Amino acid sequence: MGNADSSLLGSASWGGVPPALPRSVPAPHRTAPHRRAPSAAAAPPAPRRRVAAPPALWRPLPAAPPRVPRPAQRGAAMSGAPGPGRAPLPCTARPAAPLQLPGGAEAARPGVAVIDVRFPRGSAADMLCDMEQVTALRFILRQPSPAWLHFGIEELQLFPPGSKTPPQDVPSWLSQLSPPEQPPSLHGELPDPEKVAAEVQQMWALTEVVRARQAAARIGRFDVDGCYDVNLLSYS
Amino acid sequence: MATYEKRRAAVTPTAAAGSGLGDEAEFLLQADVTAMVREALLKVLEARPEEPVSFLADYFERLVLSSSGAAGEAAAELSGPMQRLSRALWYVRLAHHSHRTAFNNNISTAYEVLGAGGRRRRLGVDGRLYSELLRRICQHGDAPQEVAAELLRRVQCRDHEAVPFDVFRYGVLTCFVLLEFVTKARMLYDVLDSGAGVADKSVCQAVLCTLEEALGASGLSVPVRYLEAGSRLGPDCLALAMDRALQERKLSTTMSREEFLKKATALFVAKVKPVE
Repeated sequence: MGNADSSLLGSASWGGVPPALPRSVPAPHRTAPHRRAPSAAAAPPAPRRRVAAPPALWRPLPAAPPRVPRPAQRGAAMSGAPGPGRAPLPCTARPAAPLQLPGGAEAARPGVAVIDVRFPRGSAADMLCDMEQVTALRFILRQPSPAWLHFGIEELQLFPPGSKTPPQDVPSWLSQLSPPEQPPSLHGELPDPEKVAAEVQQMWALTEVVRARQAAARIGRFDVDGCYDVNLLSYS
Repeated sequence: MATYEKRRAAVTPTAAAGSGLGDEAEFLLQADVTAMVREALLKVLEARPEEPVSFLADYFERLVLSSSGAAGEAAAELSGPMQRLSRALWYVRLAHHSHRTAFNNNISTAYEVLGAGGRRRRLGVDGRLYSELLRRICQHGDAPQEVAAELLRRVQCRDHEAVPFDVFRYGVLTCFVLLEFVTKARMLYDVLDSGAGVADKSVCQAVLCTLEEALGASGLSVPVRYLEAGSRLGPDCLALAMDRALQERKLSTTMSREEFLKKATALFVAKVKPVE
């Protein structure tokens, strides 16, 4: 499914509006998977926060706001950065439902919501952690604060684990860090390399001291080649 | 020193007249001796001279001159630019440039001394005094003439320009760092010639080329630059470079000490940003 807003790719957002917000805010949307991007564009400012719950399931793209870290609820860690060419895994996520406590109906809303994600038969998912062939996933969400009446996760997308990043180029001088083998016959008349190295390194350091500094104040010369002739003065 | 002796002679009779511990403590407080001695000790600690006694004698003489300078023709002598120049020179030479705080304090004092016009007026430092000070620093530090001239061309100011403190500090620091660089280059030449008195030209060239390459990496972040320079200037890389130079040379020519100094300092001066 295409997303107009790239910041939602592979990410989730808390849905739900605390009751204190003015009515001009659009009605809370609780149904998760088929909503399009406008849910992010119409997001009310303060209470909407991007939460990694469970942690590190989706790595947000740089455009996303900073994540609020949550205590780990599950150990599962699924693939990281979804690249542009990766398709989300097909799955169905049922909407957040309040947890039903045994013992019958209660008047108060419980503070825990549950989201069940089911993978279709035949395409079970592999996780980055030790689980493989996962067929179902359950998110247990805890009510953030009493101000949140309805809360849930929307726009859930799960991506398969990708390949590792290719090894980056190592600069040439770094690859020389392992000492090269001493040539068996060094010229006999060589001056002591340790002393030479010590002196040269100190000279280098002195030059660095001067290179790093520059007088911040300017004298303010406006001449051209030592001459203040009006016709030659520069405009810069 | 004569005035100092006279003062001491005048003081001792009254000290002999006083008696008891309380009088002595009071006397010290009255004469402000404690503060003066403390200042003197602090200066000695900052400067760490080889001969503390003569340094202290010099310091007290200057103190006497400056404190009695308000009266008579001593004032006229003091406010002459040459006297100010020599006092500023004394101040900037007190601390080594690597003792950054002490060095900066001394430079501020020198700037004030140089800029003081008379008893009340503050003239500020003009380019002529500034350039003269730099020239004297280089001369006193025994730097080769052309080297100093090349550096001064980059750093000095024109006679009519007013020199702000930042430029002043930059110029003085650069001169002192150049002096140390020249000392190090001389020591390096002594190592390279292995006691023979003259060093092989190809070896010198190899070492200077390695230094130039290590200095050449600019635009990199600071930690990377330090790591790279450290790996290039390590003993084994240098040994390989020197060995290769010795094996590849056709004729055995030598490089004189002056030529080596000139080439080495050219590398240094190239990195000095000119004042504009």
